[in-house]
Amino acid sequence: MLELTDVTRSFKVGPGQMPILRGISLRVEKGELASIMGGSGSGKTTLMNIIGLLDKPSSGSYAVGGQDVLRAEANELSRLRNRLIGFVFQSFFLLPRMNAWRNVALPLMYRGVPEAEARRRALAMLERVGLAERTDHMPAQLSGGQRQRVAIARALVGEPAVVLADEPTGALDPKVSQEIMELFLEMNRELGVLIIIITHDPGVAAQCPRRIHLDAGRIASDTGPGSGLGGMPIRRVA
Amino acid sequence: MFGRVIREALAGLLAARQRAVLALLGIVVGAGAVIAMLNVGAIARNETVRQFREMGTDILMLRTGGFSGAFNPADLEALPALVPAIEDVAPFAIGGGVVGHEGMTQTVSTLGTTGSFARAARLPLAQGRFLTEHDRYELFAVLGARLAADLSSPFAPVRIGSQLRMGRYVFTVVGILAPVLPSPMMPVDVDGTLFVSIPNARRVMPDSGISTVMVRLRPDADPEAATIPIRRHLEPRLRDGGLNVQSARQLIAGMAGQMRLFTVLLGAIGAIALLLGGVGVMNIMIISIAERRREIGIRLAIGARRAEIRSLFLAEAVILALAGGLLGIAVGIAGAYGFARVSGWEFILSPAAAPLGAGVSAAVGIFFGFYPAVMASRLDPIEALRSE
Repeated sequence: MLELTDVTRSFKVGPGQMPILRGISLRVEKGELASIMGGSGSGKTTLMNIIGLLDKPSSGSYAVGGQDVLRAEANELSRLRNRLIGFVFQSFFLLPRMNAWRNVALPLMYRGVPEAEARRRALAMLERVGLAERTDHMPAQLSGGQRQRVAIARALVGEPAVVLADEPTGALDPKVSQEIMELFLEMNRELGVLIIIITHDPGVAAQCPRRIHLDAGRIASDTGPGSGLGGMPIRRVA
Repeated sequence: MFGRVIREALAGLLAARQRAVLALLGIVVGAGAVIAMLNVGAIARNETVRQFREMGTDILMLRTGGFSGAFNPADLEALPALVPAIEDVAPFAIGGGVVGHEGMTQTVSTLGTTGSFARAARLPLAQGRFLTEHDRYELFAVLGARLAADLSSPFAPVRIGSQLRMGRYVFTVVGILAPVLPSPMMPVDVDGTLFVSIPNARRVMPDSGISTVMVRLRPDADPEAATIPIRRHLEPRLRDGGLNVQSARQLIAGMAGQMRLFTVLLGAIGAIALLLGGVGVMNIMIISIAERRREIGIRLAIGARRAEIRSLFLAEAVILALAGGLLGIAVGIAGAYGFARVSGWEFILSPAAAPLGAGVSAAVGIFFGFYPAVMASRLDPIEALRSE
């Protein structure tokens, strides 16, 4: 589904180049739930930006569903992000002036889905994440956990190839964190969608079947089904 | 897509109401000045047309150049025969005095003239008749409408046959004029004037020399061309040698020139205010974009194309400017209405005002909103998401 081959990314610092990713090769398949762990400076955010088509690697290749996505220019990248990627952020990043269902419907609107249809799908997705009664609330009227549920609904509503969650529980207390993790597990199980969670919380990573560990821009370990190392058969029922 | 962009732009503006209103002010003043300019111009043009509608524009006023110079009546009588373009010649002497009627007195302008004056100036009669060539030394008088009313008392209204005292003479009223609009061509206010024959003017006016002549040309005559033979005939016969000829068209051109100056001034004020308003809009948009960097980042991450971000912020700028423009149209029309009231002119609405005001303000919005909108659309999504 997603395939990165020998991806490097370095940034200009003063006169020289500072390498952040030093050759990442990674393959994740539809239906997987993977965590990417690593300390500060390990390159996990840069990796997420590249997987999320917000950034391009300095070298290497990246294909989604067999399609090379690195040749796309800005507008095509926007279209690809809209179709292929669903983002979930640590601080939710809902648009403050839109109610819950409009936030969820936004990716569909950018896709040109008519409003009535977008609303119907947004409401259905909000119901799936357990917010059927909060569809007309503004983000400010929702709790942190509820806001993250809205954000997850927004990430899922466009049926993306991958949901990228960047520290999705980082701003939540342990109880709510656990509820959000359970929601991810449930969505992964029921919708069969590929979810990648970037986290530094071992408790979160431990709940993911596949765990990728990043250190100094390299993959230090990759365990679990689908890693190609563990050799365990992966079979998930969508 | 269009409706959604407009709705989101409105929501964005409403969230920063106070700032938006402040940014509007410049546009309001600018559009207001432009609209007022247009409307006052239209009002003035309308007024000119109205003033000359009764008298027409085929009029020449001849004046002697010197202080004591006067036309010789015989020279004037010869004019129509010499210049075929002339329809009527009405010489007159201007003076003033005190007129009494049944215990009421008024200080008035008096005009010593001939019967042709009513024809030449197209004065409408309310009652009776105007002076004729046969009146000569008969003590007859014709009154302007307001003068007749001012000299009337409830018990003794001025009417045909009323007796008016002026100096040592008693005049009999033979005619009262209907009210006429003040005309820039007329050296006196007709409504407040007493008309007598030229021989009688010598009796009651200290200086009864014929200093002014009104000439009515035939409708198809060219005023410039007619002036030449008139000058050739009259100028050598004048003691001081100076003859001043003023045509209605010249006067209209002069008034138009004054209006143009006024228009240019208002236009300049409008342009400067619009420029400042535009800079205000740009400023607001730049601040708004700086504050909403994260929102832009989210939208880009979710799949908004750069053109969509651009149209979102462009729509905000244009809506802002248009709202200012609409307010400005109201302010400008109100200003023009005030101007018409103060100057006593008839208020009319220029048909170009509203569309032009809206168009100009929308153009300001697009022009000054474009740079911030492009700036917003070029944001790097990663940077934008990282900002607070």
